[in-house]
Amino acid sequence: MQEYLVELQGVSKSFPGVQALDHVQLNLQAGEVLALLGENGAGKSTLMKILSGIYPKDEGVTRVYGNAVENMTPQKARELGIAIIHQELNMCQHLTVAENIFLGREIVRGGRLARREMNAAAGEVLRHLNIDIDPETIVGDLQLSKQQMVEIAKALSTNAKVLIMDEPTSALTAKEINDLFTIIRKLRAEGHGIIYISHRLEELQYIADRVTILRDGQYITTMNYRDTSLREIISYMVGREIKEKFPRVDCEPGDVIFEVKNLNAGRLVRDINLSVRQGEIVGIAGLMGAGRTETTRAIFGVDPKVSGEIWLRGQHVNIRRPEDSIRAGIVLVPEDRKRDGLCVKLSIKDNIALPNLDILCNRLTVVNRRKKGTMTDQTVHDLRIKLPNADVDAASLSGGNQQKVVVGKWLARHSKMVLFDEPTRGIDVAAKVEIYNLMNELKRQGIGVLFVSSEMPEILGISDRIVVMCDGRITGELPIGEATQEKIMDLATRFESKINHATA
Amino acid sequence: MQSSQKRNPLKRILTVRGAGQVITVTIGLIVLCAVFALLNPNFTSQRNLNNLMRQIAPFLIVGIAQSYVLITGNIDLSIGSVLGMSCMISATLMTRGMDPWLASAITLISCLAVGILNGVLVINCKLPPFIATLGTMTIARGIAQIVNNNMNTDAIGDGAMAFRDFFYYGKFLGIYSTVYIAIVLWLVFNFILSKTRTGSHIYAVGSNLEAAKLSGVNISKVVIKAYMVSAFCSGVAGLITCATGGLGTMDAGLSYELYAVAASVIGGVSTLGGQGILLGTIVGASVWGVMQNGLSLAGAPVALRNIIIGVIVVISVLADVIVRSGKRPRRIRDAVAEAVAAKQ
Repeated sequence: MQEYLVELQGVSKSFPGVQALDHVQLNLQAGEVLALLGENGAGKSTLMKILSGIYPKDEGVTRVYGNAVENMTPQKARELGIAIIHQELNMCQHLTVAENIFLGREIVRGGRLARREMNAAAGEVLRHLNIDIDPETIVGDLQLSKQQMVEIAKALSTNAKVLIMDEPTSALTAKEINDLFTIIRKLRAEGHGIIYISHRLEELQYIADRVTILRDGQYITTMNYRDTSLREIISYMVGREIKEKFPRVDCEPGDVIFEVKNLNAGRLVRDINLSVRQGEIVGIAGLMGAGRTETTRAIFGVDPKVSGEIWLRGQHVNIRRPEDSIRAGIVLVPEDRKRDGLCVKLSIKDNIALPNLDILCNRLTVVNRRKKGTMTDQTVHDLRIKLPNADVDAASLSGGNQQKVVVGKWLARHSKMVLFDEPTRGIDVAAKVEIYNLMNELKRQGIGVLFVSSEMPEILGISDRIVVMCDGRITGELPIGEATQEKIMDLATRFESKINHATA
Repeated sequence: MQSSQKRNPLKRILTVRGAGQVITVTIGLIVLCAVFALLNPNFTSQRNLNNLMRQIAPFLIVGIAQSYVLITGNIDLSIGSVLGMSCMISATLMTRGMDPWLASAITLISCLAVGILNGVLVINCKLPPFIATLGTMTIARGIAQIVNNNMNTDAIGDGAMAFRDFFYYGKFLGIYSTVYIAIVLWLVFNFILSKTRTGSHIYAVGSNLEAAKLSGVNISKVVIKAYMVSAFCSGVAGLITCATGGLGTMDAGLSYELYAVAASVIGGVSTLGGQGILLGTIVGASVWGVMQNGLSLAGAPVALRNIIIGVIVVISVLADVIVRSGKRPRRIRDAVAEAVAAKQ
């Protein structure tokens, strides 16, 4: 019989109206990475919150090092050596790295904080992980990836044996993900047990030893990663086989409907020229910080343009503010749904109506409620948004459905050109396919689609043409037939300094 | 290997907790003093400087009060009323013949009770701090009115001379005792905020409540403590007011909670929490006091004074917002620089 670090048996948890977990089990050995998989709402995060004592469980047994633990609290979990790294980074942005690492268990000598001692100890932990961060840096000044490393260091400084990582890579670049994996492998070799939650299944091959799959709050199975395949994992996750991860619709490309000419807007948007033809999806690839998001923002008029022209269906459109762009029919589905895309405290109905109030209001700017209801119903029906009713908060929907609401509010006003920025970030496999289908549907209707994505397979799977950016410039364009990951990567790393060297 | 992230230590000190703004505002303060000195030579007379310091002291004390609460990410609107309550309770007790020191102790204890109530309402009952302290503000003002049957008190009498000297009229080494009280309070509370665990937790709670909670910080204790510090300081300011006039006035401390916000914010304390140092509060309170004193010496009418001071508050916060929004591009540049480094 194998010795487990952590064992959960028959764990159930219900929230008002929802059975979040129904007799779920899970176990973790020392020196392994266990991938915990499932779609959004499958109960992964809830299970981990129970293990780390944030939620109490209704039923079931938690065993840590073989001993049953009752009434787990965050405090107790920490004493037992269980640490969780949350999906939304939980750092105090204003404090230093060392202060964050020692938060809640500061070293005090004679009533005073022993800052020097804490800085030294924090430096020690960081060095052990080969993380190059000064412990006295303010966390808010660090990049997201570095903040994540600090979270890991914080967890380890408590001598955690069990490390739970909830979607640790969702905001990292390829290089940063590699660094993270190096650390994970190192920890595994030192005998830590790691529970790893991620939607990016292609990552698993680098680290996972075993996988445990949940679906709709039920335990489905646990397998050795070696003995299974991605296809099998996905079919367990969604309960059916997804035939195509990247559905493709072929349209005959028509005339150019959207054109950006010599767009300049700051350092990260320099001399951008691109066009989209009717019946075509154009993908913008590149590394983080390549200026892709900035380009979409400049086109949409959120950030000021220094120079450049936007043409839509042969007409020059003067965009100075988002209102100009929306009126012309060019709309943006932003990267961060919850921050930029939705008013999460407002209802679905209000969210869909918000940019369309000009259509919904009469001359005295009174909102026509019947029109508003019809518009909402139409949108919900067209996009197959799953919701209890249109009066619930936008925050209560799943990521995929939230994304559909964002798209829906734009389609309700018959937009002609849709810019997507990372449309599938943080969305589960099945919902991703629905978003792809939606993009394909737009393409079929002759609406132009331009989308930014950091996920190579997605860019290669959905685009008809790929534009690659690096350091604020377009470094190349590839028709889908010729595009490969290597070619994109090569174009995405053509930094100016390097080009100068080559020509010199 | 540590070297690449190691920054200039001076720059680091400036970025910690928004200390940078303290320097800019200090420069502003010096300029301000220079202007007033030019407008009226009396500004720099020994006598005026002494008065000026005594004028600044109460602003500093309520500034410390508000800074503590602001750094936790909350606000305390009851400061002015607690000040008034303290003034009225202590004066009433003294006019009824109680020993001034005992009266002061009882007064401070009742102020602390309001502080605890504020903290509990905000963190345990989860009321928005604006609403919770708006309520206690009204209640405390009501208490100030009720303790002496809706009348200001009579003079607190000759028996309280020592009390009046201790809080206002006494001098030591040529400086008024009020100034010493403010300095002692500042030293104590600055030590707590910058050097102790409680201080660390106050910043953590204001920076990210959830993270602090998940790190095992007892967040309710921290917030209640901050409100208690606020109420205690307001109470002391009330005793000073009582000693100054020699009687209790029901509307003592009217709008002081807002002066306290001004002193904090001018000094770089963020109203969003997690940021600010008490050194800034000294500078902020000084700007406030210097404006009042200097403008009146320069002969500006009260209305004009208010307009100018209001403009200063808005500008100092605006400057902070502009400085902070200017930070963003630098981070993107860092990201690019790192990508370049990764490639090579």
